[in-house]
Amino acid sequence: MTIFSTVFVLAFLPLLLGMVNKLKNSNTISYCMKRTSLSAWLLPVLAITLASCDPFGTRRTQPEPEPIPAEVDGWAPVYSKDADITTIKSLPPQNIVKGGKIYIKGDTLYQVESGKGIHVILIKQPANPQKIAFISVTGAQELAIKNATLYTNNLNDLVVLDIAKIDSVKVADRISNVFKMVDATRPPGTGYFECVDNSKGTVVGWEQKLLKYPKCRN
Amino acid sequence: MKKLLYILFSASLFITACDKDSTTSADKTTASGNTGQGGSLARFTTAADHMYIVDDRKLYTYSLLDEKRPQLKGSIDVGFSIETIYAYKDKLFVGSSSAMYIYSISNPAQPVKLGQATHVRACDPVIANDSLAYVTVRGGTRCGGTTNALMVYDVKYITQPLLRKTVNMESPYGLGMTGNRLYVCNGSNGLNVYDITDPVNPILKKQLAGGTFYDVIIIDNLMIAMIEGGTALYELKANDEISLAAKIVN
Repeated sequence: MTIFSTVFVLAFLPLLLGMVNKLKNSNTISYCMKRTSLSAWLLPVLAITLASCDPFGTRRTQPEPEPIPAEVDGWAPVYSKDADITTIKSLPPQNIVKGGKIYIKGDTLYQVESGKGIHVILIKQPANPQKIAFISVTGAQELAIKNATLYTNNLNDLVVLDIAKIDSVKVADRISNVFKMVDATRPPGTGYFECVDNSKGTVVGWEQKLLKYPKCRN
Repeated sequence: MKKLLYILFSASLFITACDKDSTTSADKTTASGNTGQGGSLARFTTAADHMYIVDDRKLYTYSLLDEKRPQLKGSIDVGFSIETIYAYKDKLFVGSSSAMYIYSISNPAQPVKLGQATHVRACDPVIANDSLAYVTVRGGTRCGGTTNALMVYDVKYITQPLLRKTVNMESPYGLGMTGNRLYVCNGSNGLNVYDITDPVNPILKKQLAGGTFYDVIIIDNLMIAMIEGGTALYELKANDEISLAAKIVN
């Protein structure tokens, strides 16, 4: 559009210059007439030029709506239907379904099961890893360990677990609502996401997922 | 020569260590005391008897002097879309979707902002050593932006991190380093191994296929990789040979 308007103005330039020259050479009697014809020429040229320039940026504020992609990298809510989302307990080893963040302490690998808890896996022999327990923690996304104390998030609570006995971990402390690890309404990043459906349970986390025709966007 | 080897070995330990008081090969098996090590995508990290947590906007500092009763020492507004935190010696490197922030924890209870580097909008875990920070930025709809790259920042003048190098990648995620090797997860495109003998000029040495890689932790010659569906354990051998020990995916 800008190129077009420039070309347009350039095309009219000789004409305009011609008018001005004529104006200079003309006598006073014909002056009024000439001025009228000049304005008559100038006005449409100006109008077209200004319109092409879009000086107020009105068009830019209305971008063409992006079509919803058929397939796109985005987020999906992880739901829980557990009645008591604050219960934390040791369980026998579980299958890894949505493997999350990893943490190493000594010969033990801890892998978060997104939104569900923490897998505890012995890797003393890397060729023969042994799952030894699963710590069920709703909303878990993160962990850190000092000595035999494990810190994780139970949704938006910081919980402190005594893991000295891995098959019977105990909650040593809970600090409620200190941070926002899990937002139940929207994912922790921009882009498309699968809309929340509360009939499926409490949103306990978000996972990356290949989405098809997502309707929600952050 | 022995001395040199010792220095190199110590340096590699420091570089591999996520935390100031992280496990080393010496106490790896004993697991006595102190803290473990997380990946570069972590939001929790520990250093000097403190735990640092980032959520979307803030950095929270907890004292772990009484480890069963963490005490909140304070919280700081960092920015927007904070995603990762990485501790190295007396510094914290915080990655957001638009910047890398550096905090001093010389006083562990009170992190103080030293500097920041703003980059294009994208996802970005950070790892660092004394003079450099390696940042990956990943574009795409989820993270915003279109840049996919490994970026090398000079952090010698910590208040003014300087972008020294941009290495294009396909879909970089987490990263880890040991010695003169940098391991960068490249999503469904595998894992890239870079020679960082010249630290500001990573040279691609190897591309490992066999999984969708998201993050790595390297302890001595063991590489623990977060992959799609679980974890993979690899042994790092001479001449950049990487042999799969086991996959834990169900």
